[in-house]
Amino acid sequence: MSALENVSAIEAIPAASTADELYQDAAKTYGAALERLARAYEADADLRRDLLQDIHVALWRSFQGFDGRCSARTWVYRVAHNVGASHVVRQRRTRTQALVGLEELENLADANSGQPAADRNQALDRLLNLIQRLNPLDRHVILSYLEGLDAASIGEITGLSAGNVATKIHRIKNVLARQFQQGGESHD
Amino acid sequence: MTEVLNPVQKIWQEQPVEGVKMSVEEIRRRAGKFERRIVWRNRREIVACMIVSVLFAYFLATNHDGLFRMAYGLFIAGMIWVAVQLHRKGSVNSLPAALGAASSLRFFRAELERQRDVVRNVWPWYLAPLVPGYVMLTIAYAVSFPRPVRWLGVAAFDGFVVLVFLGVWKLNQRAARCLQRSIDDLYAAESSR
Repeated sequence: MSALENVSAIEAIPAASTADELYQDAAKTYGAALERLARAYEADADLRRDLLQDIHVALWRSFQGFDGRCSARTWVYRVAHNVGASHVVRQRRTRTQALVGLEELENLADANSGQPAADRNQALDRLLNLIQRLNPLDRHVILSYLEGLDAASIGEITGLSAGNVATKIHRIKNVLARQFQQGGESHD
Repeated sequence: MTEVLNPVQKIWQEQPVEGVKMSVEEIRRRAGKFERRIVWRNRREIVACMIVSVLFAYFLATNHDGLFRMAYGLFIAGMIWVAVQLHRKGSVNSLPAALGAASSLRFFRAELERQRDVVRNVWPWYLAPLVPGYVMLTIAYAVSFPRPVRWLGVAAFDGFVVLVFLGVWKLNQRAARCLQRSIDDLYAAESSR
């Protein structure tokens, strides 16, 4: 091995291990959130497992280009949602139901509206049905809201303006209030 | 994350998860598998084009009628064109390493634009290159078998093929329009404050 190759190998190890460490930290911190996210993007259990693995692979690969210009959290959510959005676009031809935006969802009549959920599982199923009807961008916003991210973070991750995020969150609260009888806009 | 969670957020965040863990070795293996899958998919389409080209080359070599030979030659040229297009667009679907650098809005829009371009270009990239060969083959049949009954059969079959091509084109144009509407919405969402 030449001296030049030796130098390259020595330099490559720390860069690679940093990416590996970043990935491991991210997987540990956001692993559960990534599983929830995969569940929101794919209803079928087998496809969901594949999607989750694709998200992990994308995350690991992406950390090789992580420049620290945004927080690791923003990076992780962007990667995960972008993989999820690609998945939704790819499944376009097999989908039976058209995806809608929050605005349409707010105005759509729903059989479950106003009906209290019998238990947490039923409430979760209902919530997932609702999320899976949304187009990827609005799905991203509602998932970020459910994960407890504030409007500024949602704006940073999605690229939406602050005003747009505020409007979408307002709509999300209305939709959730109607679905889960939470008392609408008073609930913050 | 310090905000007090509302009941729906609690239901969401407290849902049971499997706790899936992947080691870096597993990730590397899957990443390699993913790359191989992309390479194989691209090769598969190109290999299919090559097989069809070889078949037409055989017809070209064994047929002594000039018109038929010209038709097969045009088919081969069309298949080579399709293979070149497949090769050129082949790498687009691989996962970009800087996936986290793009906001969801821009990434999703780019995905839709890519889909729109694929759908829009089905005709010029994949169907149109085969038309000259097909037209020449029809002429060769018509000239070689100059009986009216045979002509009627050829005309009926041509009509059917034209209808299929038009149907594919119409469906793709409709899909492209739908995608364009979504793209326009995303541009509007980005520019509105």
